[in-house]
Amino acid sequence: MMPDLQQVGEGETQQWAPNITAPVVLLENVSKSYGKIHALSEITLALSGGVTGILGSNGAGKSTLFNLLMGKLKPSSGSIKLFGTDPWKNPAPYARVGFVPEHEKMHDWMTAHGFVSLFARLNGLTREEAKSEADRVLNFVGLSDVAHKQLGRYSKGMRQRVKIAHALVNDPELIVLDEPLQGCDPLARTTIMNVIRELGKMGRTVLVSSHILHEIERITEQIVILHNGRLLALGNLHSIREKMDNIPHTISIGCENPKELAKDIINNDAVYGISFPSGDRLQIQTHNLNAVHRELPALIVANGHKVSSIDNPDDDLESILNYLTGGLAR
Amino acid sequence: MMSPPKKDNVFRALDRKLGAVAEFTMRQYRTKLSTWVILGVGFIAIFIVVLFYVDSMQQEIEAIDNDGDSADWDGDGYPTGQERIYGTDPNNPDSHPGTFTPPIAPDAPEKWINEDDFDWDLSARGDTTAGYDDDGDCRLADSTQSQKDNNRNNVECDIVLDYNEMRGEWSEPNSDKLVDEDPDEEKYAKEAIHRAFLLAIGKMGFVFLLGIFLPLFLATGLIREEMDNSTIHFMLAKPIARRDIFLGRIVGYLGIVWPYIIGMGTIVGIISGFAGPGDGFFRFADLGMWMAIIFATMLATLVYGMLFCALGTLWKRGIILALPFAAWELGMAILSFGAPSASILRFSVIGWSLNIIDAASLVVWPNMGLFISMGMWGGGAYNSDFWGGTQLEGAAALNAFASDTGLGISPIATIVVSTLVLLFQAAVLWLVGSAIFKGKEIE
Repeated sequence: MMPDLQQVGEGETQQWAPNITAPVVLLENVSKSYGKIHALSEITLALSGGVTGILGSNGAGKSTLFNLLMGKLKPSSGSIKLFGTDPWKNPAPYARVGFVPEHEKMHDWMTAHGFVSLFARLNGLTREEAKSEADRVLNFVGLSDVAHKQLGRYSKGMRQRVKIAHALVNDPELIVLDEPLQGCDPLARTTIMNVIRELGKMGRTVLVSSHILHEIERITEQIVILHNGRLLALGNLHSIREKMDNIPHTISIGCENPKELAKDIINNDAVYGISFPSGDRLQIQTHNLNAVHRELPALIVANGHKVSSIDNPDDDLESILNYLTGGLAR
Repeated sequence: MMSPPKKDNVFRALDRKLGAVAEFTMRQYRTKLSTWVILGVGFIAIFIVVLFYVDSMQQEIEAIDNDGDSADWDGDGYPTGQERIYGTDPNNPDSHPGTFTPPIAPDAPEKWINEDDFDWDLSARGDTTAGYDDDGDCRLADSTQSQKDNNRNNVECDIVLDYNEMRGEWSEPNSDKLVDEDPDEEKYAKEAIHRAFLLAIGKMGFVFLLGIFLPLFLATGLIREEMDNSTIHFMLAKPIARRDIFLGRIVGYLGIVWPYIIGMGTIVGIISGFAGPGDGFFRFADLGMWMAIIFATMLATLVYGMLFCALGTLWKRGIILALPFAAWELGMAILSFGAPSASILRFSVIGWSLNIIDAASLVVWPNMGLFISMGMWGGGAYNSDFWGGTQLEGAAALNAFASDTGLGISPIATIVVSTLVLLFQAAVLWLVGSAIFKGKEIE
């Protein structure tokens, strides 16, 4: 055959064996810059097993991180290893990786089954194996009954699920999902979240990116927060949150009679301020979010208040970023 | 029902990845309207030329009495040629074969048109003589010895043919007077036009037009369009080397283009086989030409496909990079007609592709040079036109489109060498293209 130009071991993907002692994902001092713009700076990260949420606002570097992991970009410095192998040089590790790209465009002329089974052959499956594998993964994401419809006729949520199915071919150990919930209707969101949680339970390493905290919160506790290309936080969402609970927070309650509810709730020690932004809404200022949330339901039930909604307008990514950066993120 | 697992040979292993990319590409191209528009335009362009060809084959070519002996100069009812044969005076109305006993009936004038056709052995090699004085006007009894042999080769009423080894061409025939001087214009012209058509449509229609424009529109976007549509991510996320994606895309594109070329070549070949001149109902000998035309075009679409796909991968507007190449190749194609041995032709794709067609024409139609030289001579001075030219219709066209292979080796060796060079070019461009693709950062 032709000589190998640049690639190491490429073309011998069948013989590739993962380094079992290496973490599934390992980044060491990885930076990626375009001229003077630093998309990622000095990221060091090792992940193995479980679902990890990659949180960050738009432009934080989530997609750059995923593109580096998927061998589509070359790091400016540092090293990236998937199962101990550099993906830019050797695509062999992708035999054990599934990727759900962020981009919406798909091959609309294909059926879901045709799409999944054809790309499954790129994993080294035969035609017959690819077909039964496509049946399996489409069933897993709940699309069996519409598998032979053209992708162009699918709703956005269904298309996301096809992309996930395509990534699950060959039962990968690492699944990377770039904004899988973006633009999906609530039903599709729930289905996709269930699928991701299920994969986590099966012991797979799953990376999910999002810029919406609540989405990630419903999927996993283990998070990585990126901000301006830097790794801002890494760990358990709840422990970050507990620390945040002790800083001032706002709770907004929609109810029929805000004044009556205010009278009952002002007795709570954690509440230090109350305001009425409109006739059917009550806002509480607290420095202990958990304490208020513990007592609020009982209080509402005991006094027979009619409550339509309870929101934490501060409880989003932005406030976490604010907390972690000491207000610099705003 | 489960079938027992088959043994994994090389082809099955290839089918898993390369085959999947190729199959995907073919199915993708089949669903695109632009593919059908491009193939349709190619079809129309080729068939307009075919219509002109069929029309010219149907037209009668006027038979010219080059030596003027069908005329009855003295008005006695006997054509001049007949009077000469019988030794009567063509200028005296009282002298004619009707006065013989028994009297001889006058010939129809048409009998003395095209009565002295070419009698050349086209398998001749080297210096040789040809020709036979069918109407006997060279061998007339009253001619002197020097009149009968004015080319001085000691053979009466013949034509001397000289093959110039150095220049590789036949020099102008040196004829005794009135030998083969009244050829059958239609017979020569139809054969020459037919050959010229095959060479012209093979070189310009198939190798140049289809061979460059199909890859220009179909191969430039093979990788680039997937990159622009962000659909390449599905492929890049799989354990397949980018070099194999590149190759698989090319194979898929060839899976559309090659059957199309074979189909077009077969259809045009069948039409010209039936419409062309010949004794049989079909020109089976031409099939070799059509195989060469199809083969050369397939190789051209392979090399250009690799080149244009690489240029498309290199730059978003790769088609702009491809156009200068197309212009260069057009220049080389034109150059190859006039100067087939120019060394600059070796730095082109089309030069090698056209070599294959030229070499095949020399195999299928032996002594093409002699045949052209025969038409350019066209019977000699007796039928010169207003400008003094003597060539028969079709000879100039054939002379323009036919050329030597330019490599100075035998036709079969030329085909082998040209094929190897084109495959080598394709392999190099594949490596260059995949290196470009491999180094490309994609978002």
